[in-house]
Amino acid sequence: MTERVGIVSVAQTKYHPNRADAKEGEVGWEAVEQVLNDTGLKFIDDGTGIDAAVSCSQDYRDGRTISNLNIAPFIGTHFRCEEKVCEDGINAVYYAMMHILAGIHDTLLVVTHCKESTASPSLVENHAFDPIFMRILGLDFLIAAALQARRYMDKYGVTPEQCAKVVVKNRGNAKNNPHAQAPMDITVEDVLKSPMLADPIHELDAKPVSDGACAMILAREKKAKKFTDKPVWIMGVSNCYEAHYLGDRDLAECQALTNAAKKAYRMAGIKNPFKEIDVAEISENYSYQELMWMEGLGLCGQGEAGRLIDRGVTWMSGELPVNPSGGLLSGNPSEVAGMSRVAEAVLQLRGEAGSRQVPAAKVALAHGTTGICGQLQTVMILGNE
Amino acid sequence: MTEKPEEEFIGVNIVSDIPYDWAMGPYSGRLFREMRDNKKLIGIRCPGCKRILFPLPEAVCGWCNTKVADDWVELRDTGTVVQYTVAGMPVFDNRTGRLKGAERPLANVKLDDGPYIMHWLEEKDPEKLKLGMRVQAVWKEQGRGRGYEDILYFRTIGESSND
Amino acid sequence: MANRVAIVGVGLTRQAARRPEVNDPEMVNEAARAALADAQLEIKDIEAVLTNCIDGFDGIHLTDHWLVDGSGSYMKPGMKLHTGGTVGATGAIAAFNMVASGLFDVVLTIGHQKQERGNTMGTLCAAAPGEMREFVQGAIGAFAQAAVQYMANTEAKLEHAAMVRIKADRGACRNPYAHLRLGLKTPEDVAKSPILIWPLRLLDFCPQSCGACALIVASEEKAKKITDKPVWVADHETVHELQSEVVFGGEEEKSQEVASRRLYKRNGITNPIRDIDMAEVYEPSTWEEMYLYEHFHFCERNMGWKMVEKGMTEIEGKFPVNPSGGVLATNAIGATAMIRIAEAALQIRGDAGEHQVTRDVKTAMASGLGGTNWTTLVLLKRSL
Repeated sequence: MTERVGIVSVAQTKYHPNRADAKEGEVGWEAVEQVLNDTGLKFIDDGTGIDAAVSCSQDYRDGRTISNLNIAPFIGTHFRCEEKVCEDGINAVYYAMMHILAGIHDTLLVVTHCKESTASPSLVENHAFDPIFMRILGLDFLIAAALQARRYMDKYGVTPEQCAKVVVKNRGNAKNNPHAQAPMDITVEDVLKSPMLADPIHELDAKPVSDGACAMILAREKKAKKFTDKPVWIMGVSNCYEAHYLGDRDLAECQALTNAAKKAYRMAGIKNPFKEIDVAEISENYSYQELMWMEGLGLCGQGEAGRLIDRGVTWMSGELPVNPSGGLLSGNPSEVAGMSRVAEAVLQLRGEAGSRQVPAAKVALAHGTTGICGQLQTVMILGNE
Repeated sequence: MTEKPEEEFIGVNIVSDIPYDWAMGPYSGRLFREMRDNKKLIGIRCPGCKRILFPLPEAVCGWCNTKVADDWVELRDTGTVVQYTVAGMPVFDNRTGRLKGAERPLANVKLDDGPYIMHWLEEKDPEKLKLGMRVQAVWKEQGRGRGYEDILYFRTIGESSND
Repeated sequence: MANRVAIVGVGLTRQAARRPEVNDPEMVNEAARAALADAQLEIKDIEAVLTNCIDGFDGIHLTDHWLVDGSGSYMKPGMKLHTGGTVGATGAIAAFNMVASGLFDVVLTIGHQKQERGNTMGTLCAAAPGEMREFVQGAIGAFAQAAVQYMANTEAKLEHAAMVRIKADRGACRNPYAHLRLGLKTPEDVAKSPILIWPLRLLDFCPQSCGACALIVASEEKAKKITDKPVWVADHETVHELQSEVVFGGEEEKSQEVASRRLYKRNGITNPIRDIDMAEVYEPSTWEEMYLYEHFHFCERNMGWKMVEKGMTEIEGKFPVNPSGGVLATNAIGATAMIRIAEAALQIRGDAGEHQVTRDVKTAMASGLGGTNWTTLVLLKRSL
């Protein structure tokens, strides 16, 4: 890449189980307002402010065809350009980067909003499955994940205790995150004693229902340096689709993630991810996923992530802290999830992560998933130099 | 047998049913309470372009990108029909998620204080409908806090105001 | 744009009210294969796939995930965009951006919809916020109201709308992919169709179709190797509009006027019907086509009907508009805005078969319409 794209400002709402006090767009506005105030940038056409917007939301979650109509008054779109991405929000950041590199606009507002509480996630997610063969089985993302968890744990000998440690770590980390929905001081036993949702996934192994939004401003390098003295650069990014039908996939593997990670690392010039990445924010919708995605990301060998968490490698004091923010398990809505991983990575690289700061972080990894058992995997490498 | 058997296309009928529980938020919420409790219409005025945001009052005026303050304005419930269409197409029923037949004409009414509202007209006879005719809201006896549904329809109160 | 981008492959499927013989992945596959065949490429040559549509019409959440087998996105990068009716164009523009960014050299983008399923009207009503949903009649209500206003403000008559419909049908009858091909000849033929919402008759409004469209977009270097007839993407513009009280028609400035003004200024277009050779516009109703002529500055305000009366926009006309039959003949919403771009590209290549316009096409413009009167414009050229 010749000229880089930088992230100039990020904001997240405080994640909450049910924002009965605000519409979808109003929740989005809370995040947008923060980045506008932080940068002082305005929606203006003369090149000195925000040129256009990329939004991200799902019609089925909002219950509104063309769901970006919900966010329209808040993102300066009247008589201006806006595009909506329909995947996890990390893909909106990816698309915005390409939009800038294409030379169309220099400065973009990116915002993802989702109120999972508006409609039963189970009903919404059921609609993502093939209507003829899979939907009638009453599948939703949780049940599909349970199938994947069982397969992964059996194949690699990962134990429920190792998965539970992910929850203990992340819920504990969340105490340092003012945006987190539900930080908790819990033990492995607490996780394993919590009600079984779909074997082997207990209630505490699953991310809770959450409402919220995340907003960012991206700009091409020259402008990014003007708008902030701490720009964070997108060094590498890629995504990749898995097969759709669960039977077409070996659920214990995530080849798509490995593909996306390889491309992102190559773009960022990373040869040894475990050594070169200082902090990772990974989208763990369910506890087993943090372990599985770490392996797919090449941070360790196949089936070894359980041992890493046993040894404390991914805890705050370890060699490669994973999810200092508390991750999705502490409460993050779908769609916003991956984008808030990017936001957390940006805060780490700006040294603004408060008590969850990983000291001297220079290179961060942000990861997002969309769909059934992470059918679309997105990997982003960020750096501050 | 040399006849080609008629191809049978098998289709599967699935009903897609997701209930949605939308929050109205502080702005629409206030409007809905006013409609339910006082049978009044209110909008919020943008401090920037002075536009009155109704029927969707919002935290931000998307026309000029200005945050609203607290300048709520009462709107008279009388207005002029600027567009209307008569029956024909089915309309959405929020309670069932299905379409139902339209009982009355649908109109775009420009309220006397400026903003527009889309609503039903009491008058069903197409002969009696005219662009520019004057109408007034007829409120439900007991408002239920469902916003525009707390108005039954708009009743003709006068001839066209067009010159 | 940072790097030059060209359309090197165009794929269209047959469009119909029902396509029971294919499911969605198969239908999308038809378009993808047609585009690959057109470009003489294989799926392995494609670096990323965008699969775009409006989920509500198809009754599927995350449609692109279900379609990986048909779209060819399995084990490739890609994503889905969705901006309402403009989605086909936004999907194409996203592909242009991906290639112009330098991150990809060859991208496949698909727009699709299967409207035989579910309820188009219901889903369109669901574009209104929940609390207002009972007070809209889909898009048709808004268009009918715009028609009433047009006749009140101009000298246009019902016959002009009929002429627009006949022009569209003439084009469709020469287009093997079009949905409605009716053989309309006179305004009486149009007047026979039932009234939907006065003054719109069934024939004044677009159908609900099933179909898909695919484009293959490549960087300059690759494009020149892939084909000797690349269609260059000179420019594009996307302009949204907040929902106003009068969504279509009316007196206030519209996104179409803003978008075309900006596009023309950047590209030195001072006399659109002279500097551009033809246009494929997104006209969901006959009346909207006349509005679009005005909003895109093809003629003065309130004079769109006159262009129709004089036959200026016929296939043999001075400034052909929608020789393919347009949206009035075919509307699988997810594909439609992309089909406008595809058809414009075919005209530039001279590959539009029987509906190729008489005028030599060096520059063509394609428009998309959706949401609350959002506009996309794509300007294509035979050479830059």
